[in-house]
Amino acid sequence: MLSLFIYGVIQSVTLALYALGFSLTYGISGVANFAHGGLYILSGFIAWSLMNTLRLPIYLALPLTVVIAGLIGFALYWGLLVRIRGIPLAEVVVTFAAGIAILEFLVWIGLYGFYYNLPIFIKGGIEIQGVAVDYQRLFVLGIGVILAVLLWLFVHHTKIGLAFRGIAQNEHTALTFGIESDWTGALSLAVGSALSAIAAVLILPMGVLESTVGYEVLIFAVAVAIVGGLESIPGMIIASFIIGFGQIAVAKYIGSKWMVIVPLGAIAFILAVRPSGLLGKFKELEERV
Amino acid sequence: MLEVKNLMVFFENAIALNDLSLEVEKGKIVAVLGSNSAGKTTLMNTISGLLVDMKKKEDRRGGERITLLGALKFEGEDILTIKPSLRVRKGIVLSRERHPVFRESDVVENLKIAGYLTEKHKVKEEMEDVFQLFPHLTKLRHRKAGLLSGGEQQMLAIGMALVARPRLLLMDEPLLGLSPAIQSDLARAIRDIHKKNITILVTEQFARPLMPIIDRGYVIENGMLVISGTREELADNPEVRASYLGV
Repeated sequence: MLSLFIYGVIQSVTLALYALGFSLTYGISGVANFAHGGLYILSGFIAWSLMNTLRLPIYLALPLTVVIAGLIGFALYWGLLVRIRGIPLAEVVVTFAAGIAILEFLVWIGLYGFYYNLPIFIKGGIEIQGVAVDYQRLFVLGIGVILAVLLWLFVHHTKIGLAFRGIAQNEHTALTFGIESDWTGALSLAVGSALSAIAAVLILPMGVLESTVGYEVLIFAVAVAIVGGLESIPGMIIASFIIGFGQIAVAKYIGSKWMVIVPLGAIAFILAVRPSGLLGKFKELEERV
Repeated sequence: MLEVKNLMVFFENAIALNDLSLEVEKGKIVAVLGSNSAGKTTLMNTISGLLVDMKKKEDRRGGERITLLGALKFEGEDILTIKPSLRVRKGIVLSRERHPVFRESDVVENLKIAGYLTEKHKVKEEMEDVFQLFPHLTKLRHRKAGLLSGGEQQMLAIGMALVARPRLLLMDEPLLGLSPAIQSDLARAIRDIHKKNITILVTEQFARPLMPIIDRGYVIENGMLVISGTREELADNPEVRASYLGV
């Protein structure tokens, strides 16, 4: 029972980390960044290259990876998205295509199998009342929580964060106060990509670094965002816990190969019962009132 | 302070503003009167730069064609094509119509967002000034803006514009849809704002609550200027009396 709890929490925080960047970008700019999974694996590959090709030490390589991922997000906005902002279908098609291009490019240069992997931060683990947990998973837990708190402070107490809040709620009104929609849009992509890189360097060391993982991460991120309600960060966290605990319970009692059914089932269920998600609101409905 | 000269605005082939010229002198309160679709909001969006931003985005994705012709001068400088944020820096701030506040944020956060280009310590000062101007908002500091009444939202919207430290404040139909009592409260507030050395350009469909405080007025119909004059001249004009004063 205790192991269900501990691993449930860890799995939930992992999912929240997957979804954080996706939700943040969507919440601010309305762009559903379907390149999220691609950026996740690309970040892993960048970290690997920095450490193995350039021989940078881990404490330089990982922060640098996060910065590079941020710049890629920035470039994604100015290079691909700027012309089609505000046409949701085009945004989805373009980001999805970019994501697939990244993932298939990585396959093409040979990113599969066990050759590529990222190092864990500290080897070993502890035992909590008979349940063994390795340090890396505790890192995921701790950094996940710290990141959520920092992000909250950033959004509510800095000028850029407040500009994000303004643009997310009413772009035209935000413009009248001198907030620039293109810069905030590009920054939201950059921060979202940087967050996916943080998730990648934390979580990838516990698994394999290959393109198929990118598709999975995208499914998880989208599932959490849809179930929680797009744009709602508290909803996203609740959804992470529901899906996370669901997955661990399924793995324990039914079999781990069924784990992927949980997020997909959750999407189907929530779309049938409450399409706007647990805490989400349909903007159109609200505006009509 | 502000000079609009032969301004023409087209949305595709539809003409929204037709050869419009008007002037706002420093330190005055000037009204633009007109019925629905007369072009009031288009005029405000042109002066604040929102229209330039819309045009940029439409052009980029090959959408609706917006054409802007004529001259728009602020303190002698041509500002027709510069982006909205630069205009805010120059002191031109728009309070949009239908009090569009940030509904999910509370009152204080709304004011903070509005102070994006204002230095941090000044934002606090300006916020206190806003609460002094609208004491009613003081108790509502931590209420979500979406839960405020229409009048309260309008007070907030005006307060937000003030935190951005305007020298020329544009107000697009600030009294729309509010009760007569609140309308006269807001008219008083507009006069108080004016006393702080802020020049005001305000649009409205119905002139009566504004009449006592304005210096000058323009009447536009179908994007064209039809009447202009001082407050006294407008008050004596039979057409204005019938259409905008309800006498």
